[in-house]
Order: sequence, then structure tokens, then C-alpha cells
Amino acid sequence: MKNVRIWFKKDYECRYISHLDLNRCMLRALHKSKIPVWHTEGFNPHPFATFPLPLSLGFRGINECMDVKLEDDDYSYEEIILKLNQCLPRGLQIFKVTEPLMKAGKIAFANFTIKISDDKTSSAVICKQLSELFALDKIEIEKKSKKGIKTVDIKPSIKNFCIDEKFDFAELNITLTAGSTDNVNPNLILSALEKYFSVCYDSDITRNELYNSDMEAFR
Amino acid sequence: MVSREVEKLLLKVQKPGRYVGGELNEVIKNKKDIDVRFAFCFPDTYEVGMSHLGMKILYSLLNEYDYIWCERVFAPWIDMEEEMIKNNIPLYALESGDSVSDFDFIGFTLQYELSFTNMLNMLKLANVPIKSSDRKNLKQIVAAGGPCACNPEPIADFVDLFFIGEGEEVDLEVIELFRKCRSENKTKHEFLELCAQIEGVYVPSLYNVQYNDDGTIKSFTPKNNAPAVVHKRLMKDMDKSYYPDNFVVPLVEIVHDRAVQEIFRGCIRGCRFCQAGFIYRPVREKSPETINAQCRALCENTGYDEVSLSSLSSSDYSQIVPLLEKLTEWSKDEKVSISLPSLRVDGFTDDIMNKIKTVRKSGLTFAPEAGSQRMRDVINKNVREDELLNTCSTAFEGGWTTVKLYFMIGLPTETIDDVEAIAKLGQAVVDTYYKCPNKPKGKSVRVTVSASSFVPKPFTPFQWEPQDTIPVLHGKQQHIKDSITTKKIQFNYHDADTSFLEAVFARGDRKLCRVMELACERGFHFDGWNDCFSLEKWLELFNECGIDPEFYANRRRSFDEILPWDHIDYGVTKDYLIKECKKAYENTTTPHCRLKCNNCGAAKYGEGVCFEKRKNLV
Repeated sequence: MKNVRIWFKKDYECRYISHLDLNRCMLRALHKSKIPVWHTEGFNPHPFATFPLPLSLGFRGINECMDVKLEDDDYSYEEIILKLNQCLPRGLQIFKVTEPLMKAGKIAFANFTIKISDDKTSSAVICKQLSELFALDKIEIEKKSKKGIKTVDIKPSIKNFCIDEKFDFAELNITLTAGSTDNVNPNLILSALEKYFSVCYDSDITRNELYNSDMEAFR
Repeated sequence: MVSREVEKLLLKVQKPGRYVGGELNEVIKNKKDIDVRFAFCFPDTYEVGMSHLGMKILYSLLNEYDYIWCERVFAPWIDMEEEMIKNNIPLYALESGDSVSDFDFIGFTLQYELSFTNMLNMLKLANVPIKSSDRKNLKQIVAAGGPCACNPEPIADFVDLFFIGEGEEVDLEVIELFRKCRSENKTKHEFLELCAQIEGVYVPSLYNVQYNDDGTIKSFTPKNNAPAVVHKRLMKDMDKSYYPDNFVVPLVEIVHDRAVQEIFRGCIRGCRFCQAGFIYRPVREKSPETINAQCRALCENTGYDEVSLSSLSSSDYSQIVPLLEKLTEWSKDEKVSISLPSLRVDGFTDDIMNKIKTVRKSGLTFAPEAGSQRMRDVINKNVREDELLNTCSTAFEGGWTTVKLYFMIGLPTETIDDVEAIAKLGQAVVDTYYKCPNKPKGKSVRVTVSASSFVPKPFTPFQWEPQDTIPVLHGKQQHIKDSITTKKIQFNYHDADTSFLEAVFARGDRKLCRVMELACERGFHFDGWNDCFSLEKWLELFNECGIDPEFYANRRRSFDEILPWDHIDYGVTKDYLIKECKKAYENTTTPHCRLKCNNCGAAKYGEGVCFEKRKNLV
């Protein structure tokens, strides 16, 4: 038995499916591919797969991963990529299989690219608003959780950022705290723009990479 | 494939994965190579429509042809509909993302009467004129099929042509005729006239209806050589009949998220309320070898780990045990579970139970339909109480602790004692559990009793019967509720308001078209969903159009009245239905097809159970 980490992209139509649906798609693909993965042994045996950090509905992910247990230690990684891709929709494609080097609990940061645009606002204006936003001492927004609405300051959760003015959109590259304890959804940046500038922009969010607390890429 | 405009809306609506396509096994073709574009529309949400087997069969079948591209269209849920209207985005097909108005054929499958408004609303969302007479050219041909096409009259003004019966062959014949007519520059009217000559095609515009003063039909006259009676189509040899080896596998969870394998069509039983039991006659089975091979291919190509065997009353499959043996030979190793969703009370044997239990245990549902033996004889259910209780015992000893029981209220001749018997039967099942020596230890039993309201349907022996009025149905529901004394029984009942509207549409005539048109104008949709349905609003519409809905739902019709669907033939003769109706009033049952042929008329197709050797004759 051997743990492997399967890396994939979530894009196109598949960016619009929830984490639960992603889970179902992956399990079905594993089942169809007949790759020898370990199955759970309860009443409903199914391939055992875990996802180190779920991705929100609507985001693209270019470095997503899923962990499974291989029953055949010598099974080739190329075979996994080939077989699984034949069983997946075009929006989910495997590009790499590795041995996991870090535990999921080590994830501390996530880096995103957010393209922000609006029919009526120039990218220069959006970039200026972003700069002003990040210059504030506190960026307080209301966060809805199961326990109710609470106000949080996301400023301390921003590890680094970079604003780039493109032709018809503003591109924000930002690293935020992530993981099971303190996860900041990049949609909150859009909420902050809405709150501080009374604007409602379109956004296109891609998660690029996960990191540990030392800012080493999650592998 | 969705446009950038649609993408902008997707993050504003619930479950956007329903509106994007891009699933595994979706069929994408190059538009340049395509001669006929067919939009296959299901007038309900993606999750409901994608669960429908008929659509999967016809989608794959049409796409087998290089020059046809069949795409899928579903009704957007109300939040998406609102965004689409606000942003001027017409209804589009999932594969190409093209507007439905670009298509040659716009085909609807009508599975339930309350989806009629969704059909019209989808045409409206696609900017296609809803009335057949307003679509003048040889394109945007609106076709409809499915069980509700058996009484097409309430939507006769909107649909250009109906497919009567099974669609596998007639769809293609109509498409071929369309190609020919288009190459010869024929008009839409000429095309429809020629279409009416194809067996199984009903073109409503080719018939004139006249009414008596009391609102009943006086005459029904074909014109331009249209046939006086339209005969249904059916597949004679199910082993040779097309079946897909592949389904589109949805990205989001749907209602029936599993592979579906059809095992036979029709039903031998002849329960007198059941439309499906009559219109799909005669029973035609697939061989266990065919089923096994098709089943295995489907599981391999989709990755589903569950397959359900689909038919009416699955345990009536003549070789059910050999079939399950064949399937379990491989299903266990492949970790695939087999489910039998339509089991009769008297068909649940130890053998079957052990086979369907091997991999996964699903819930158990039985439909005694009525509480008292007299009532079950009236409807010809042919199930005895001791059979039900024995079956439940078997299930409890096999480890099941939950059982669902389906009943109907408002059946012809029903008394308050018959209604009360429903609660008593539920109690008897609970008692059976506690009497069971080998019941699961330390567990309680849960019996769900569901009561729906009887809706008289065309082509059944009860097609002349009045439906109970809403207050009477409410009274009966309350009576069952009051008669249940244990918390181990959970009682559910179906809303009587929707059953009333269903009864109006099911046996309506062309006068209802005006109501439908107005309903569409006013934005009625999703009448099958509690979120949207309002009987009050419907009653206002009926009132405005000067139509009395009770004329259709609550009136007893006489055997010699011309019924709105009398010009359509499903094989079972009207004389047979009259005979069955009379037998119901005498509390007399009719043996099923394998015991005795009762000369219903379906033998004229020359196939199926009508020509099986009966055991008592051998």
C-alpha cells in the first residue's frame, strides 16, 4: 500500500461544480479507470480519496491535488495519468502524480490570481481602488458563518499582493492564509471593494499554489 | 459550451453546474457536417431531466447519425430564468450553447401533465412563438412525445406533431421526411401533411373538433387525408432494439445518479388506475444475455457503481433469478450494486433479496395502493394482506428496518372504511416487525405510509370516473392522520390541489389551449414544484377563460361520450376498458397476462407476452 498525491486542474465547465460534486466525479473516474486504489470497507465500499484543501465553487485551480492509497506499489504514475484522464471530463485533467511530501495540515497559505473587471469602470480605476484598499490599517468585512455574522479584519491574513493593470481588467495576485484553522476566501476582497467603494465588479479567480507556513510550495 | 455572457450569470445562481454541459460522454459535433439539428428538451430541471431514461436512449440514438446533432435542453430554475431574462439571454442547448431558436426540431418529452406550462415557458424563453400557427417556416418544428402525448389535446395548438408510442423508429422517419421536404423546398404545411401519413405521428392541426352544447365533443374530423385514428408505434423485438452503451455522466448530482438498464417494456398486471400498464402493452422482454451485456457496458463506460434495473413491476421479469445470478457474477468483483426499484409485494422472495443485498442495501418500497382487500380488488391490484405481511417479515429477517408503503386515496367506490384500512395496514406492518423472531436486534422499525390522490387517466378502465373533489380528499387525508396511533408510522400525503390540476390536464380537450396560452403569458412555470404552484392563480385563469375545470376533473363521463383522445389507438380496445370498468364495480379481479389472455387488443402487434406459452397450457 502506498500513498500517492494526484495533481489536477479544475477549469472550464468544472469550475462551476462544488467540492462534493468534484469528489463524486473523482470517485466515479477512479472506479471507471480500474486503477488499483484502496476502497473503504464499510457497507458502501468506495475508493478512498481525500482532498488536502477544497476549492470553492467558481474558482479555477491549476495545482489542485487529491490523495489516494495505491494497492499495487509498483503501479506506474504515467498509467494513472493516462487512465484517469480518459475517465474525466475535459474540465478536470490530471497532470502529475507524486509521493506526498507534506501532510494536508501543513497548508498555511494559498496564492490566487484575481482578474477584476467591470463594463463601466476602467482597469486603472479598479487598480487605484485596490491600492487604496490595501493601504488601509484594517480591512473589516462581515463574514457569514454557521454561528452567525461576524466582523473580521482580513488585513493580517494578507501575506503579500501585487496589482497589475491590464487592458480590460485589473489583475491582483495575492497570497492569503489558508488551511483548516484560518482560511480566507479571496471573494472577501471583492466584498471589501463593495463595502469601501460601493462597487460590484465581475471577478475571475484562479488558485495557483498552496504553501506551508515557511512559504514552501505544498508538495 | 457556454458563452461569456452566460458565464457572468453563473456565479449568481444556485448550482451553476446544471447550466454548463461539458460532462463526460457528452456528444460534440462540428456544425458544418450537420444537416439536422435536434434540441431535445426536458420541461423540468437538469437534475430531473438527466434522470430520464427515454432521453438517454433517444439522445444516443439520434447522435449515431453523422448528419444529426441532438443536444440537450432543460428548464432553467427560477433564479437562472430571472437572470437570463434580465440579461437578454435566450434559452440555449448545453452542447453547443446555441439558442434553441436556431434548431430544426425542438422536441419535448412529456412525462407529467404539470410540465405543460414548462414546455410553453421554454419556447418563450427561446423566443420561439408558442403557437404552431405562428411558426410559419420549415424550421423550429415543435414535436412532443412521452406518456402525456396520449391525450395531446390540451396542448394541440402549440405542438406541430406528436409521436404516439415508442420513439426509436418514428423520430428518424420524421427527420428523414424533413430532410427530403427541405431539399424539395416544401412548406411546413406540406411537410406536416406528409408527416401525418407516417404511422405513430399525430398532427393536431389536421383535425377539426366540434362541440355539443354541454361542452362534450360532438365530432372529430380529419382533413387533408390525415388518418381518422392514429396508431401507436412500438418496438417489436427488444433484443434488437437500440440501447445506448454510454450515458452522459453529470458533473452535479442528479435525482437518479446511477446507470439504468431497461429489462422489459409493458406490464402484465393491468391495475385499473395505471396508465402505463395499458399504454405500453404488450409486455416485451429483453433476454438475460442482452441485459447482462448492456448492463456491463454501461457500467464500464460511465464509471457508475450502481445500476438499477428499470421496468414496470421488475419482479415480473420471467427470468429474474437467472438474470440476477448472471449480474452478480461480475458485479461483486467490480463493486457494482444492483437495485430493483419496482418490486411487487408478491415478488420479493429470499432469492431476490439475497442477490440485491450482496453489495449494497437500498431502501424497500412497496405499493399496496389500497388498504382494504375489497378496494385492492376494485383496482385489480391482486395483492393480499398476508402476502404483504409475509414479504415484510422476509425483509425484516433479512435485516431491513425501514419500509415505505405507497397508497392512493379517492379511488372509485372508496368508503371511509377503505381509507381507514390504510392506517390499519401500516399498523399491521409495525406489528409484524415486533412478532418477527429474527428481527434486527436493538433496532426500532420505521414504516412510511404515503398517500397520493387518485387521478383518472386516459386509456385506463377508470378514464370515465370523476375525481374526488379537493375537500373530500382533504377529509380522507385527515382521517388517515387521525387513525394512526403510533410514532413508528410516518404519514405523508400528496397535495390535493396539484392532483386536481393534473386531473384537468390529463383528460382535457382543446378548449384548454386558451388557458395554457394565458398561463404562459402570465409566466406560469414549474407547476409540479411547490415553490411555484398556486391553484388560486389557475382558478382565476379558468374563470377568465370561462372554463369550468370541474367539467374535466370531477364529472362522470358516460361510456358513449366521445372522449378527447378517442382518435388515438394504443392497442387496448375501448370495449375492453369498459368491460374492466364494469368489473371494478363488481369487485371482480382480472388475471394477469401470463395466467390468461383477456383479449385486451394488444395481441394485434403480434409480439411479446401475448404469444408466450402459458404454463397451464403446456
